[in-house]
Parts: sequence; C-alpha cells; structure tokens
Amino acid sequence: MDQKGLGITRAILFCRQLDPDQDVNRRAIEKELGSQIRFFPLPCSGRVDPLYLMRALESGADKVYLITCPEGACRHREGNLRAKKRIAYTQGLIEEIGLDRERLELIITSAGDRKTIDELTRDILAREGVTSSVNPNDADIEK
Amino acid sequence: MPPKYHINTSRAANRFQLITKSGVMAWEEGCLKCARCVKKDCVYKVYEKRGLDTRQMLESLDSVCMDCFRCVQGCPNKLIQKGLNPAYKELGDHYWTPEIISGLWYQAEAGRIPVSGGGYGGAFSGPGFDAMWTDMSEIVRPTRDGIHGREYISTTVDIGRKVMALEFDQAGALSIDPPPVVEIPQPILFDLLPWSPPRKGINLAMLEGARSLGTFAIVRQSEFGPAMEEYLPNIALYVDGKLSDISPEILRKLRLIEIPYGKDAIAAQKKLKEEHPGLVTIIRMELAPDSSSNVFRLITEGAGAIHLVADEYGLEKSDKPLFIKERMREIHLHLVDKGVRDQITLIAGGGIAMAEHVAKLIICGADMLSVDIPLLVAMECRVCRRCKDGISCPVELETIDHLWGASRIRNLMAGWHNQLLEILGAMGIREVRRLRGEMGRAMFFEKLEKDIFSTLGKRG
Repeated sequence: MDQKGLGITRAILFCRQLDPDQDVNRRAIEKELGSQIRFFPLPCSGRVDPLYLMRALESGADKVYLITCPEGACRHREGNLRAKKRIAYTQGLIEEIGLDRERLELIITSAGDRKTIDELTRDILAREGVTSSVNPNDADIEK
Repeated sequence: MPPKYHINTSRAANRFQLITKSGVMAWEEGCLKCARCVKKDCVYKVYEKRGLDTRQMLESLDSVCMDCFRCVQGCPNKLIQKGLNPAYKELGDHYWTPEIISGLWYQAEAGRIPVSGGGYGGAFSGPGFDAMWTDMSEIVRPTRDGIHGREYISTTVDIGRKVMALEFDQAGALSIDPPPVVEIPQPILFDLLPWSPPRKGINLAMLEGARSLGTFAIVRQSEFGPAMEEYLPNIALYVDGKLSDISPEILRKLRLIEIPYGKDAIAAQKKLKEEHPGLVTIIRMELAPDSSSNVFRLITEGAGAIHLVADEYGLEKSDKPLFIKERMREIHLHLVDKGVRDQITLIAGGGIAMAEHVAKLIICGADMLSVDIPLLVAMECRVCRRCKDGISCPVELETIDHLWGASRIRNLMAGWHNQLLEILGAMGIREVRRLRGEMGRAMFFEKLEKDIFSTLGKRG
C-alpha cells in the first residue's frame, strides 16, 4: 500500500456516473490547478470506504469532497445512501482525533440540473474563493 | 538456444494498480456477521491481501480477483456484487482499445502471450488490420515440429541496400563494393514517441530495452545527451537539426542514422556514405498517397532503407487517408512491378498495436516495423494523452526506473516474438524474410466481399 504524500490540497472523489465525459471535462481544471487538486473517479460513490477518506487526508489533502449522484439515481440502488453514512461515520472519527469534521464534505448533486464535473468543481472552488466560477450558481449543490 | 532465436523474460511487477475490466462492490452495511464469512473462503485470498493505492484510490481487490464469483454467490445477504468497471471502458480510444491496452500490460508484466480462454466472441471482421485474415493452413506444424526449441524459426532481418548480383573481375576478385547492412534479430525498431511526459527515463528504458534485444531505438538528435552515449551502437539517430552539428566521434560509433525526407535527403546520404562508409542511412517519410512514386524515385537515386510513417491510428497524411496496410500493399506491388523491390528495406510504422499487426504488415510488404505507443503502454501508460495537454501523468511515467522500463519492454517484445513464431509456424514458414509480401498467405475482407458480391444482381 502506497502511503506517500501527494502534496494535494483538495481531493475530489466522485461517482463517474455523474458525468459520462468526466475524463475530458476535468482536464482544463487539472491543468489550471496542477497538484493542488486530485480527482478520483469511482465506479459508484458507495464504493468509498472510511479508509479511502482517511488515506486521502493522510496523503496531504486539506479537504476531501465526495460527490454523489442524486438520491434515487444510484445505479447500484443505494450506493449514494451508503456513501452518506460512511462520510458521517468518518467525520465522527476525524473529530475524535481532533481534526475539523468539515475537512470531509459530502455533496449530493441535484436531479434537476445535471452539471459536468468541471462545473461542479468550479462551484466548490468559487465557494472557497479560490478561483472564479464559470457558473456561479451553486444553489443546486446540496450540502 | 542461441539468443537470436529466443528472448529470456522475467516478471516485472506493475507499479500501479491495473484498471481491470470488472470490479468488486462489497457493502459492509447489512452484514449478518456469519460465523464463517465468504470473504475468508476466497481461494485467492483476495480479501486478505486487500490494499489501497492512495495515488489513485484504487483497491488491490479488483486486480487480484480471478472472477470465480464464489463470494458473490456465497454471501447469504447478497452484499457482494461484481460489475463492469467504467474506468476500463474509458481506457484509450476507438483504435487503442481497452482490450489492446490491457493485453499489452499483461505481456509487459509477464512476458507471456495473453490467453483469454472461452473462445473468441468478437466479430470476424472490422476496420484496419481486422479486415485481414492470415493463412493458418499448416496449423498442425507448431505442435508437430515445435517452434520454441526443436526447430528454429528465424525472425532476423537486414536493414540497408542489397546488391542483386555479385560481380567479379578477371582475377576472380569481387569488383563491386557491397553496401553496409545491419542485421537485427527481430523485425522491430523502437520509434520516436508521438507524445509522452518528460522522457529522460523513458528514453533510457527504450535504449536499454533495444540493447538487450539487439535492436535499435530511434532518438532525436535534439534529445541526444551524454547519458545515451553508451547506447550508441543501438541508436538510430534521427537528424532533426543540422547534420554538421553531429560530431564525427558520434557518427563513427553509430550504425544507423535516420534523415528526414526532402530534396536534400539523397545528397545527405551520399555525404554520410563518403565520410562514414559503414553507416546505414534510413530516409524517414510520412506515408502519403504519393508514397509509392516517391519511394521508387528514391530507390533509383540510391536510397537503401526507407521508413514510412503513418499517424498513431495507422492513417496516412491525406484528406481521404488510406490505412497503412492498404498503402504498404500498393507501394510493395509497385516496386515489384518495377523490379526493384529486393534492393531496398522498407520499414513501416504507425498504428502498430498488437503482435498480429507485425505479421500482417510484413505480409502487406514491409520488411520490418517501427513501434512507438506500445512501448509506452508496456510501461503502464493508459493512452489518456494527458501529457499532450500538459497535465500530469496518472502513472508518473516521468519517474520510472529505466531498468524496470527496459524489462517491461523486453517482456512485451518477447510476447510479440512468440506470437510471430506461432504465426510463422502455422504458415509453415521458417523465416520472417520469406513472409514479406506473401499476400497469397492472407485474405482481405474488402477483396473477398467484392469478389463474391459484386457480380450479384448483374444480368448475363
């Protein structure tokens, strides 16, 4: 198991069902931010395990986001519901060791307005004040 | 066995978790806490060896799983599922398919031919090389005669101008000066890479691989550095600057040099021949619709070896590009008609992705081939082309150890060599030089379709 530090500041784990063209769509932002951001596409957000989230933090991420598909839209039926529980569980764990629970964040996308991974990321970054968002309307991102 | 007939391999482990065709989805919630969990009964100990590669957030689970489905069937609460991995489907593109990439990874790791089992379930024809079927009429021969030991099949080829007849003077001494020829044990050269991350280690891996296989890697003059000097006998230096900038010391140690096609190409070849008579010059030209007439003209002007290069999809440079195998057939047959084919070495490259493409392109008239992308794939490249866009490589190719890279390349070439032997054995051919242009040994889908169906519906 590789535990080497990646020097990343944001790790974004996301369900790849969210955006069929995620590989192409995220390239511009990856080029822009370089090692400050790492994307980890998952076959289903339910695949995420508390270990993934802890390791992402351990690898140097300041903040870890998990973006899931809308509730009721999981292709594995309840993967996103399980992801929600696991985030809550891991938030409890990191809080116990003295880390801010906000360093892990779950973002459940809205069924009404489908956005590309690039747009979703820019919304997150705009919220953090890191870069200007191409689409500043982040009302449809439920925390 | 003499080294020119066999390539020794050794397993070279992956640095990153492989992207596998399917993945395990095991929910923890709802677990009945059985006294004996099915995960404990895994015969391959997949769950016990479980690890997470944080560089990619990929579990070892998927690459170790052997798809026996025992755990999936055995879990009483159906908490374990296996599904197709969407990341696998996204590998490469329409030409460099996930099946090709994963096959290359397997060969580079193990040095063995991939065997899928369960028969072939795909289409019998397709575009490009898939529209060509090779003759396997002597299919019993590999079994009967043994191709990996009892009988040798030669895959050796020569690069350089050939003389068609020897001439002697009155005293019986040779009156002509035969041009130099370079012999290599496999009909494959390592070509310039169309894209890659910073390639210091990659170049050294290719050179080390070329040296261990006895072949050549083409290196740009602009990228050549002191670290490569020890590999000069296995370098084909591509002149992308001024010929006069290359030191005579380097030229003396080189055996192959490649110059770009242009109006000065023949003059440059003559100059090189005068100054370094032992050096074999290759002229590199882009494959194009007018290639056959250009190649013929170069032969009449004295060229010895021509490297025809298509793009990474095997297409020539044109508005309506022809695939490399069609254009090579045309060039080969044109040279045969003119009676000059045997004088020259034709090297073809671009779009060579699998072992079968080597044999198929040789059947279409190439003497040998150049490969590029498969060498990167051997070093775990995913053909995502992120490096082309200036984005970091997901498998950190710029950090490879060149000896590891060389052993992966060597393994891949061993796998391809064995497959070439299988094809030659199944055709009853004992050396690859005899395979060149043997179009009667293959069937071409387009031709068959035309022969069979073009007369239908016509009266009289």
